[in-house]
Amino acid sequence: MSEAAILDHEFLVAAYVVVWVIQLGYLAYLGYLWRAQRTKRLK
Amino acid sequence: MKKLLIGVYAGITILLMIWGYYQAIYVAPNDAMQGEIFRIIYYHVPSASVAFVFFAVSLAGSIGYLAFRKNSPNKAQVADAWALAGAEVGVVFCTVVLTTGPLWGRRAWGIWWTWDARLTTTLVLWLIYVSYLLMRRFAAGPQMQTLAAVLGIFGAMDVPIVYMSNRWWRTQHPAPVFGGSEGSGMAWSMARVLLWNMAAWFAWGVFILILRFVIERRQQRIAAAEAQAALEA
Repeated sequence: MSEAAILDHEFLVAAYVVVWVIQLGYLAYLGYLWRAQRTKRLK
Repeated sequence: MKKLLIGVYAGITILLMIWGYYQAIYVAPNDAMQGEIFRIIYYHVPSASVAFVFFAVSLAGSIGYLAFRKNSPNKAQVADAWALAGAEVGVVFCTVVLTTGPLWGRRAWGIWWTWDARLTTTLVLWLIYVSYLLMRRFAAGPQMQTLAAVLGIFGAMDVPIVYMSNRWWRTQHPAPVFGGSEGSGMAWSMARVLLWNMAAWFAWGVFILILRFVIERRQQRIAAAEAQAALEA
């Protein structure tokens, strides 16, 4: 495997990781909002 | 019944995401010029498409809010919740575009960023909607929703400019693959994979868009109940 191909692979993995960190991070934020509302309603 | 429908939709979305990932990584061929790094397209392009559609949802919600705010307050609140959900989820997808793009660009062009028309207008679009969300978060008072609606409409004006930028001007960003000049297009073995990923990301996007809308509607009801309680106290 050439150095360029290794770098390509690493950048591709980095891009996929970034995508999922952003998407799942946002989903976690929505989960936090949902929980906070439930706590507020219970009060 | 409602829970079952949500479960079925979530299941279909997860299956589509897994299938799209499998197709993008293991089935689609490498690009003859760019090699493996080209596979970023299967996240980058669908994310841009979803962001554009959700900014259009925000535009429709903003127009709806301004149209209903005097005569139908309840409809106006529903429209405002769609405007917020569209803008927020649109920003999430636009962030994906603006982070995967430079990673792709660094390998394909040798640079992380350049101030060409496509990249700059996309960054401006992201900044407008981030300012929209910041305004909604930190501004208070009865005029906040009206101001947000006006900014939401103004922000959406940038979407067609982003879309047309690499048709109107010469850009570092590649010319449009679909709907471009003669000779543009993609091999079916790649286009098929892109369509699967487009379907998967749209399904995921709609899921979190509706979730955000529901949360905002609940927030509106809580705020109304709190205001009522304060009046009665």
